[in-house]
Amino acid sequence: MSKASVIYDKFERHSHGEGLKGHATHYCPGCGHGLAHKFLAEAIDNLGIQDRTVAVSPVGCSVFLYYYFDVGNTQAAHGRAPVVALGHKFANPDSVVISYQGDGDLASIGLAETVATAQLGAPITVIFINNAIYGMTGGQMAPTTLMGQTSSTSPSGRNEYNGQPMKMAELIAGLDGPVYVERVALFDAKQRIKAKKAIQKALQLQVEGKGYSFIEVLAECPTHLKMSPEDTEKWVKECMEPVYPLGVKKDLTVEPWFKRNPPCFKGEKLLSLAGATTERPERFCQGFPTHLDLNDISLKLAGSGGDGAQTAAMLIARAAISEGFDATHIPSYGPESRGGTSYADVHVAETEVLNPGSPDPQVLLAFNAPSLAKFGPTVRKGGYVIYDSSVVTEAPVLDPSIKVFPVPFTGIATDLGKAVVKNIVALGALQAATGIFPKDTMLTAIRVALKDKCALIPLNEEAFAWGIKSVESLAN
Amino acid sequence: MALKERPKPFLLPEYCKGCGRCLDACAKDCITLSDQINPLTGLVPVELDLANCNACGLCMDACPEPYGLRPAHEGEIQDFELEDPAKLFGVKPCDAPEPVDLPSEVLPLPRTEPLVIKGTYASALGALLAGCRHVYGYPITPSTEGAELMAKFLPKLDGTFIQAVSEVAAVNMMYGTAGAGLPTMTFTSSPGFSLMLEGVSYMIGAELPGVFVDVMRGGPGLGNIAPEQSDIKLACHGLGHGNTQAITLAPSTPQEMLDLTMLAFELSFKYRNPVILLGDGYLGQMTGKVQLPDAMLKPGIPKWAVYGDAMHRKNLISSIFLTETDLEAHNVHLNAKYEAMKVEARAETFLCDDAEVVLIACNTPARTAKGAVQELRHQGIKAGLFRPITLWPFPVEDLKAAIHGAQRIVVVEASAGQLEDEVRLALSKAGVREFPEIESVRRMGGVLPQQNEIMTRVLGRKEVLA
Repeated sequence: MSKASVIYDKFERHSHGEGLKGHATHYCPGCGHGLAHKFLAEAIDNLGIQDRTVAVSPVGCSVFLYYYFDVGNTQAAHGRAPVVALGHKFANPDSVVISYQGDGDLASIGLAETVATAQLGAPITVIFINNAIYGMTGGQMAPTTLMGQTSSTSPSGRNEYNGQPMKMAELIAGLDGPVYVERVALFDAKQRIKAKKAIQKALQLQVEGKGYSFIEVLAECPTHLKMSPEDTEKWVKECMEPVYPLGVKKDLTVEPWFKRNPPCFKGEKLLSLAGATTERPERFCQGFPTHLDLNDISLKLAGSGGDGAQTAAMLIARAAISEGFDATHIPSYGPESRGGTSYADVHVAETEVLNPGSPDPQVLLAFNAPSLAKFGPTVRKGGYVIYDSSVVTEAPVLDPSIKVFPVPFTGIATDLGKAVVKNIVALGALQAATGIFPKDTMLTAIRVALKDKCALIPLNEEAFAWGIKSVESLAN
Repeated sequence: MALKERPKPFLLPEYCKGCGRCLDACAKDCITLSDQINPLTGLVPVELDLANCNACGLCMDACPEPYGLRPAHEGEIQDFELEDPAKLFGVKPCDAPEPVDLPSEVLPLPRTEPLVIKGTYASALGALLAGCRHVYGYPITPSTEGAELMAKFLPKLDGTFIQAVSEVAAVNMMYGTAGAGLPTMTFTSSPGFSLMLEGVSYMIGAELPGVFVDVMRGGPGLGNIAPEQSDIKLACHGLGHGNTQAITLAPSTPQEMLDLTMLAFELSFKYRNPVILLGDGYLGQMTGKVQLPDAMLKPGIPKWAVYGDAMHRKNLISSIFLTETDLEAHNVHLNAKYEAMKVEARAETFLCDDAEVVLIACNTPARTAKGAVQELRHQGIKAGLFRPITLWPFPVEDLKAAIHGAQRIVVVEASAGQLEDEVRLALSKAGVREFPEIESVRRMGGVLPQQNEIMTRVLGRKEVLA
């Protein structure tokens, strides 16, 4: 029939459109791609979607699809076309995206992308040209090569050591994602009519936002099958079709579902997601706690997972930053998902934390004996060690210049009815022992952290107060 | 009568490859294979004898060539051999409109209080502020929190987060969205970045923007999940196959994770090239003070995009150039772009003006080194820190200035010398032959150089190598 209007009037991209190449395809005589292109072009014309169409052509003979189709074109890496197509579809949900792939591409190197994209089910259209051979690389065995079929990498015929041919249409139809899967052929007029209809239907389903569709086209590659075009048609009919039965493999009736709003670029929405506020927090500090260090205090909080060391560390960092100082917190965990070691390095600096690691902290908060044994000896002279005396029974031997505060974090928290607040007891103890900030600084940080769980605030305030009290009673 | 109005076929033999599909299609045996090779094509076309033709049209349906068997229009059929093909088929290649840039908009933000957030979180926010609403990723420690955050935030912003089947798929989803002209990014870590390199090469070849946040971890192989500066070599000299380069940024604080992620998007679109942001596991996990910027971006659509609409119909995203001279010209173009990127070199120098000992470090080791510089200064040693912020292009002019009066250079790194190689290469390319012997503080496998190790190297002149 007449040339589809979506086919370029001149193939400028085919060797710069010089000579015959301006109006002839690069395909060999008898190749199935030409017909598949033609049917695809007619479908695009019939549906009036030329402007919206993005054609993705990956490595293989059809990588040059963009020579011919006057639509948005993207060339993709071998096997990656369906995910490139997804990238286009989600960038512009109104676009109609076609992934046009050969058998090496779709059924071998891109198998993971093929299956995952089909199962995802987003409305794209995959046209799969199955000619049972690698064309562009020159006649090697394809995943779709038939048993006994010779190729340059199965010279004595595909055998059981090469595995069985991949039946992609059946495989894809077996997934939940696709709405329409059909295998068609090109070898006679009847099949060509079916192929044309199938391709148009596959595109129609995408246009309607109904889902993923997959059309496998049994196609001829006379060059690499080393037959005449006529014999190749016969071969597809007589040898391929029995292995790859034609017909509809899946055809679901679904409602349109793929409707995406345009992305939101509202500043206030983004700020609120980020938890940013224009409200300046109340400040209580008169100045940097220079009694601990002139400009950079190093702390280590150590325990097991679940002790709350990381939360306590985060609260110290937040408290410091709300006071206008700089602070950092680096968590480190053992390999276990639960219950392993859990250490936190915290720095509070007047202007800038230079080194955020705490290999020799001034303050150690230890939740258990191994942590105390490990990090106690690293504490700087004149430093502070606060530990959970509920679980550490033997007092550590440390440098005499170090001030040591045994506080029963766990005992107090259990008495309060919630063992999990032991880290807040510990924070109260740290506050009282070191005087790092005014206590309102810490309390504010705790309240802000619990702003979505207000009911827990009184308990945490009480835990904090008990931590302070315990240190004060030690002093007495 | 309708039958008579149907057109009969006509054929320019030059556009027939002689496949013979039309032979079977014709019930009237009007078509036969010629016995002559066409001198223009070297192929044997079919010949038409339309005496018995009933204009059924099946031969035209069967012809795979767009300019093969076509309906004969009035007048053409008699004298087509005299016609110039250009006249018959037209010379207008495409009537698609000429695309123009749809500019992005800068939207002001109110001044907010600093956030206290992790490095990965800061980077994710930076991406959102830079207008990115399409993120594709595959979970890998220690970068996963970035993907998790995006999975949480993007649906609330009507954006897209897809957990891909692999890193290979993730980078190609980026290729698609970037091809449509929109900002896109991923979070990954070393082994994942290795898998993405194929796609990075394609993106560079096809001139696509995209931001890769690689939270580097210990290698080679599975290695471990602890911080190592293991991918400097990969980012600076190994971005897949072919002649590839990309601006590589090395943040050292959560604030920089945000700022440099935003910068990465800007540079990525400015040069139509991927930008790599190398973090380390420590930095990804580190919580710190992060001030949000005073503006965010709503991206436009660049004129080169394949967006899937009328305006961008004529565009092509491709990295294939079959003709050697075309591909050479493309590489010349890419090289010119790489050369132009050199103005983006950035560095921080800390107390280098009078420094006799210059430490060179990036990422988290740069912060440790900064602590060491301060400590060395307390002890009366004139130490300074040179911190490259772009690892490629390497800020060699800043480096030359920083080491101008140096008697010693100490490279502090969590790798087997990958940063030192960049330093040496940059100095060599800049023609700097005279510089102090480079000393090293190197740890690997997830162990970061410690401040006391730097002190030992500088004060004790003792080798600190793992």
